[in-house]
Amino acid sequence: MKRFEYVQAPSVQDAIDMMNSTVSEALLKKATSSAYVVKAGGTDLLDLIKEGLVEPARLIDLSRIPGLDKLSYDSKAGLQFGPLVTIAGLENSEEVKKHYRALYESATHAATPQLRNMATMGGNLMQRPRCWYFRSSAHKCRKKGGFTCYAQIGENQFHGIFNTNICPCVHPSSLATALLAYDGKVELTGPEGRRVAPLAEFFLSSEENVSQETVAGSKEIITNIMLPPVDANTRAAYLKAGQRESYDWSMADVAVVLKMDGNKCRDARIVFGAASSVPLRREGAEAVLKGKVVTEKVAMEAAKKALEGATPLKHNGYKVKLFENLTKRAIMDAVG
Amino acid sequence: MANPDKNKALNTKKLKMPFGVPGHNLTEIEREVPADEPSALPVNEKLSVVGKRVKRVDALQKVTGAAKYTADIQLPGMLYGKFLRSPYPHARIKSLDVSAARKHPGVFAVIVQGKEGEQKDQYDGKELPRLRFAGQAIAAVAAESMNIAREALGLIKVEYEPLPFVVNLDEARKPGAPLVYEEVIEDRGSAGDVGVTAADEQKGNLRGPTTSSFFGGPRGDVEKGFAEADVILEKEYRTQVQTHCCLETHGAVADWRPDMLTVYSSNQSTRDTRNDLVELFGLPTSKVRVVTEFMGGGFGSKFGAGETGVAATWLSKLSGRPVKLMLEREEEQISAGNRPNSHQILKVGAKKDGTLTAVDLLSYGTAGVGLGAGVGRVAQDMYVCPNFKMAQYDVFTHAGPGQAFRAPGNVQGAFAMESLIDELAEKLDMDPLALRDKIDANDIRRIQRKAGAEKFGWKRRKAGADTGPVKRGIGVAQATWPRFVEMDSSVMVRINRSGSVEALSGVQDIGTGTKTIIAQVVAEELGLKAEDITIKIGDTNYPDALGSGGSKTAENITPPARNATYQAKLKMLQGVAAAWQVDVEDIELKNGEVFVKADPSKKMTFAEAAKRMPTSQVIATASRTADYGGFLSGSWLGHGRLGAVQFAEVSVDTETGFIKVERVVAVHTCGRPINPMQLESQINGGVIMGVGYALLEDRVIDPNTGHQVNTGLDTYKLPYAKEIPQIECVLIENYDAHSSTDVAGIGEPANIATAAAIANAVYNAIGVRIYELPITPQKVLAALGHI
Amino acid sequence: MKNPSEEQSSMQEKKGVSRRAFLRGAGLTTAGTVALSAGLLSFKLEDAKAPPAILGPGEAEVRFVVNGQARTIWVEPRTTLAEALREHLSLTGAKVVCDRGSCSACTVWVDGKPVNSCITLAVDVSGREVTTIEGLAQGDELHPVQEAFIEHDASMCGFCTPGMVMSCAALLKRNPNPGLEDVKLATSGNLCRCGTYPKVFEATLAAAKKMKK
Repeated sequence: MKRFEYVQAPSVQDAIDMMNSTVSEALLKKATSSAYVVKAGGTDLLDLIKEGLVEPARLIDLSRIPGLDKLSYDSKAGLQFGPLVTIAGLENSEEVKKHYRALYESATHAATPQLRNMATMGGNLMQRPRCWYFRSSAHKCRKKGGFTCYAQIGENQFHGIFNTNICPCVHPSSLATALLAYDGKVELTGPEGRRVAPLAEFFLSSEENVSQETVAGSKEIITNIMLPPVDANTRAAYLKAGQRESYDWSMADVAVVLKMDGNKCRDARIVFGAASSVPLRREGAEAVLKGKVVTEKVAMEAAKKALEGATPLKHNGYKVKLFENLTKRAIMDAVG
Repeated sequence: MANPDKNKALNTKKLKMPFGVPGHNLTEIEREVPADEPSALPVNEKLSVVGKRVKRVDALQKVTGAAKYTADIQLPGMLYGKFLRSPYPHARIKSLDVSAARKHPGVFAVIVQGKEGEQKDQYDGKELPRLRFAGQAIAAVAAESMNIAREALGLIKVEYEPLPFVVNLDEARKPGAPLVYEEVIEDRGSAGDVGVTAADEQKGNLRGPTTSSFFGGPRGDVEKGFAEADVILEKEYRTQVQTHCCLETHGAVADWRPDMLTVYSSNQSTRDTRNDLVELFGLPTSKVRVVTEFMGGGFGSKFGAGETGVAATWLSKLSGRPVKLMLEREEEQISAGNRPNSHQILKVGAKKDGTLTAVDLLSYGTAGVGLGAGVGRVAQDMYVCPNFKMAQYDVFTHAGPGQAFRAPGNVQGAFAMESLIDELAEKLDMDPLALRDKIDANDIRRIQRKAGAEKFGWKRRKAGADTGPVKRGIGVAQATWPRFVEMDSSVMVRINRSGSVEALSGVQDIGTGTKTIIAQVVAEELGLKAEDITIKIGDTNYPDALGSGGSKTAENITPPARNATYQAKLKMLQGVAAAWQVDVEDIELKNGEVFVKADPSKKMTFAEAAKRMPTSQVIATASRTADYGGFLSGSWLGHGRLGAVQFAEVSVDTETGFIKVERVVAVHTCGRPINPMQLESQINGGVIMGVGYALLEDRVIDPNTGHQVNTGLDTYKLPYAKEIPQIECVLIENYDAHSSTDVAGIGEPANIATAAAIANAVYNAIGVRIYELPITPQKVLAALGHI
Repeated sequence: MKNPSEEQSSMQEKKGVSRRAFLRGAGLTTAGTVALSAGLLSFKLEDAKAPPAILGPGEAEVRFVVNGQARTIWVEPRTTLAEALREHLSLTGAKVVCDRGSCSACTVWVDGKPVNSCITLAVDVSGREVTTIEGLAQGDELHPVQEAFIEHDASMCGFCTPGMVMSCAALLKRNPNPGLEDVKLATSGNLCRCGTYPKVFEATLAAAKKMKK
């Protein structure tokens, strides 16, 4: 690791005053080493620094800012939590477990117990992709300002199957899959004040911006994450397939949130993780479910629809069938 | 060195020793043994410490964090060493300038690989070795901190001329593929003891074929054998490159002083490491000390001083300060060894009743820039078919060198052979166990199959019998492994007048429990408890002993331990025997007491007996003799084989391709078991490593850039807690009257059959056979026609 | 969340900012083995008004509690907790294996929770309580998990053992009645290449039973 300065931000305002780069920007301007970036749990940032991909001049530690680690639930307002709430914090929340089953499941299946204790939700949404070319200092890929995508022509067994033209890396957060399925929103605070972005707009696909995965600006930090309330008719499920059941990155994960009207599906949100550069809503599949009694046959029809438009790469064709079966299973699990 | 006739050259005596398997065919056999060896050790049932579940003697240090590994060593003034590594899979260095690194504040020494003795600022590329894999070491620095060392590496200026490269086994075999070596390589290679082919048969990147192993060469007439066959099966199998993933990386702390070189080293042989340093640095053997008190895993990859030990020693010599050089994880994964992959074409002919008429193996494998990818011993030796031949090729690629890895060649070979036998059984409409009963001449494995089938509840299912998407299946596979005899291995036993006892040896405990089994053997002989014995090993200041590899440590270190204890005991008891007016041989030691066998009223405590010693210590050092009964074949291959049979049950999710190994029953034999608890741990370890090999592990090198892309322990996938099946070990006690302890090894046999058993179970579950490891969800979905 | 205004202020003292805060900080280090209460470290508005102290890039003072003892070390901000423990405090029980949070061999507890010390900065734990494998036993009395690891042969080469023990002991702290699946979950980030897992599971379940007695 290159040397850096370190400061504990006493407040959000202090952090915003001091920071000048997102981690993505810091990576692109690595040579100048003038980046002041924020960190919370540090699990992803330290990984990037150790690999030599980012060489910030200063780390602004957010972890001591009071109030950002609160989680609250209200049947009218829904779930709100600060960016310093850890994955373990979600996992251990009775409200999350009770009302947001898909989020709970995604939390329990993420990373390791140790990492879940450390990794904050703000950091989880801001983390960089796990593409092994991106993570290797030996490969100057498009995401790092280079001209080649090594994954498209190389070892792409764990890469995306949708929108793979520019950069087929997949979004690293499996919690984001569930958050998007619940129609989550992110509050960003910057010099101009606060703004709220639905998650669908918060994330940037590689087509929109190959070098940065979110709309967060150089002087913005996540200050709140919000999920709308769920009612008694909401059914949800989250399934993840990795090569291992223990600690593993997702090969495919699916979150399903259904609003039921008796045994009919009134509304549905289906989201894929590890399929594309952003958590990916499958509106076509959702439409299949809407207004129908959800049977295994309907679920399979929706699952097939969800895979329409997939453009798998040389080594990840298996993901199409995997997602299809996982989607069917998640839908049935939700209504089950 | 070993001398099979040694027994005859000495005074000898005759012993009646247990022979056979208790509960099956236990009998006694007479062996003529050297007169200074102890009397026959009865079967375990009659012993107090040997054969018991004794707690690991160094467990306390391990569970409290007190155990000091090489990685934990800190010496006053110690520097940190680090390698500069090649960014190209194949390149010539045009020029190399280390001047800025030398001048960097905090840097104390810089070396260039192969030119360590030349302390220049600039090096002409012509004098430097070619770079043949991405990650090959080029130079190294020693600095006050790891961070300064890293900075200094960034100051080394290298001009490279990148060259065409090939990292793929199939591509490297094609005519016109970029050559890894233009010259013929004389080096015997690095990947262990299997199938390294002769230097004069190197063409392109291919070297071979080798047609023999230490079990001999071809047998009979294979063509005739196939002509006689009712059924012929010919299948292709592929296995992946597996990396050792030692938790403690390769590394050393070297402390060069005018009077003595001391090297703390994470290695599997203090003796080999010392000898390497003696040779390389021209030092007297007496002036080099190698210490390996605790080490964090080797699995075959840590023999000798190695790149880290040599570089650390140079850097210490040049800087005048101790230097620690431990590899970082990425370096470990790329450069510190691997199990070569394989492409095997195996052809077997059989009669309708199962009798094998011919076995023919053609194999290719790459150990990267190293040699030793042979896989043929299982095909040659498991089912001793009268007609056998093999042709094994090593293929060079621009990848890190292979190293010996837990049963080199056998794990690959067993996957192919045991898959094919399973397929043959189906073709012949025979139960896989019944077929093996017919064709396997090894009587221990026959007992193992029976015991295992009972424990496992063997009743083969019809493939795909389950109705849901998750299918269950069972499979079985077998292992064979030689018994290696190593005579040149010593233990010293010291009994102190205060009654305390020490055993000292250069042998190292790499996690297998060597310390504990020595303590048990010594304690048994002295009528004490294992915890009464202080074990001091892993240091060349103690008597030389063998390296830990080939599953031979227990077999070859326990006889010297017992022999030395016996001799020390005789010395200790001389005074007591004189006082009691009996012969020392008439005195027995048990439960901390010393008494006359024929007259137990004549007794005293061990401590009282020790007080009567003529000197403050009695000391005896001993080594083992050749296999009792002269069953040594050549100078190092013991008679008999270590067999194993493993049964696996899996569930396969046909919708996701996910495989879970639910249960493994592992039936093993290792002569006299010294510590069943530690043996279970070893077997668990072999099985779990087999689970990883079967389902998960796979080194991935990008074909376009030549860089390994899964260098982290998140992307190189190993089994973690939830991948662990329920493992049940069945130990078959077996007496061969080989030595004064009659112990054999377990480490490698435990690892050989697992992947094959799992592959057979997967077939039984889904009805489609997968011929390539690892069996990933991708491959399952593809096999089921989903891709 | 605790806010270490005390520590922050004591760091400011090094930059010559606050004498008053330094004295409070000094008091903290003499608190010795007393557990740091949330009250002591609760956020105070007055401290927030002071400009935040910038540490490094050279060595900076970090005060924290290790195994019940207040410790002060001087480290560059880039120093990880694992490096600080191993190289500055000679607590080499926690091992660095993957150096990326993937294997949990470096597991220590920060404020009672298991974390990866290889990807935690030493400056991140200022004012916090760190427990390492060396601090798990109470004097000569081993933690029941340690005892059970010895009894059930749950260590082989031993390199993963400190991390395993810390994971399992943390499990029993929050769940005194674990089942096999709970133990597997608690150790699902701990890598062992020798294959001690079955004995680790066995030992931890046995320790849980023993602790209940």
